[in-house]
Amino acid sequence: MALQQLLFTFNSPENPATLPEDWTHSGVVGSGDMEVLLSRKELGGKVEAKVVTPVNGFDDIWEKVLQRFVDEAGLGNLSIEINDNNATPYIVMTRLRQALLEAKEGGEE
Amino acid sequence: MSHWKENQKASFYEATARQRAFSLVDEGTFHELVGPETRMTSPHLPVLGEAVSFDDGVVTGVGSIRRRPVFVISQEGRFIGGAVGEVGGAKIVGVFDLALQLYDRINKKHPGVENRLPAIVFSFETGGVRLHEANAGLLAHAEVMEKIQQCRGKIPVITLVGSKVGCFGGMGFVSVACDLVIMSELGRIGLTGPEVIEEVMGKREFDASDRALIYRTTGGKHKYILRDSAYLVRDTIGSFRQQLVEVLCMPYDKIVLCRSIGSMELVEEQLKVVATAVENKPRDSKDVWRYYGNEEWDRIPDMEYDEFMEKAVVRPRERRNWKWWQKR
Repeated sequence: MALQQLLFTFNSPENPATLPEDWTHSGVVGSGDMEVLLSRKELGGKVEAKVVTPVNGFDDIWEKVLQRFVDEAGLGNLSIEINDNNATPYIVMTRLRQALLEAKEGGEE
Repeated sequence: MSHWKENQKASFYEATARQRAFSLVDEGTFHELVGPETRMTSPHLPVLGEAVSFDDGVVTGVGSIRRRPVFVISQEGRFIGGAVGEVGGAKIVGVFDLALQLYDRINKKHPGVENRLPAIVFSFETGGVRLHEANAGLLAHAEVMEKIQQCRGKIPVITLVGSKVGCFGGMGFVSVACDLVIMSELGRIGLTGPEVIEEVMGKREFDASDRALIYRTTGGKHKYILRDSAYLVRDTIGSFRQQLVEVLCMPYDKIVLCRSIGSMELVEEQLKVVATAVENKPRDSKDVWRYYGNEEWDRIPDMEYDEFMEKAVVRPRERRNWKWWQKR
């Protein structure tokens, strides 16, 4: 019943880049949607993810999607914080990519 | 092209709270206060297994319009229907406090320079109290009401309603307690939401699946004819912004003429509207439009914006003495 908190740590790819900004936020916690806060954090090059979700039993899928994003993004020393409200894996991936894109563009919404 | 410029053409109805907040003030001036990076999530939702949000569904910040400091409050309807909880409520009240503090400071330093004094703009998208944290939500409503009263004679508080969820419940009261209301045709203001009326009073009283009925009763055009909304604008962020800029260039004494509550005279005026309704027993909003002299009352819902603005006859306003305000 209570809200779930999932924590993951990923090894970053070789020669990781850092997030162009201190932090970047994207998305709205609507039904079937989520928001993500990417921020720089000194983690010895690793990537840390925290997912807050009302859904149970999808830990493996979260891990896979996040691993894919970490591989794709090529960033290290990164903290990924997600507030989820029943987003599907596809939406999760889209929002993560969006957040990264916004950080690179440096633009606000 | 910057997001700000693109956003001016974007639909206000569909825009997120942050998009609205960022694009209502002058380009590049918006600074978010207690933004998502502060991670101020609701302490009540996790125990109920409800999703939380880093901004608790309210975007607050400050920017400027024509060098005037403008505080912005923008509610996010996608997050629990924009309902007001403890954190979001505190953020809203905090913005009012900051605006009042700034008013005192500027007024002390540069007395009588009205166009540099702060203003507050509140973009509503809410169903009222967040039931998961009902007491805190109710308290927030009361506090905001009090802050609006404290702003009287000092800071213009402008309501914007044109978002998807509309503005219902307790926040329906709050929105019309502000100094001036700007709506789009798609905006809706009401107290009890359509679904709730149907639930309690039955489908014969109010059919919540009848979209046309909902817009006729709570929508922008109706509110404009009734003068609950001072201005009706097109559904783009740019149109809302343009109207807002225009309003903020008006003297304070003129802005507050658009108030619908707050004095004995206004109460009497509202009571007269009620008396008129009792006398004429309208069965539908169309009867009201007809009463106020709209010849093509039956066609009003179908009219395009330009035609409506040209033909709409609005409720005549009582002439009133507003010197009372200046004394404060």
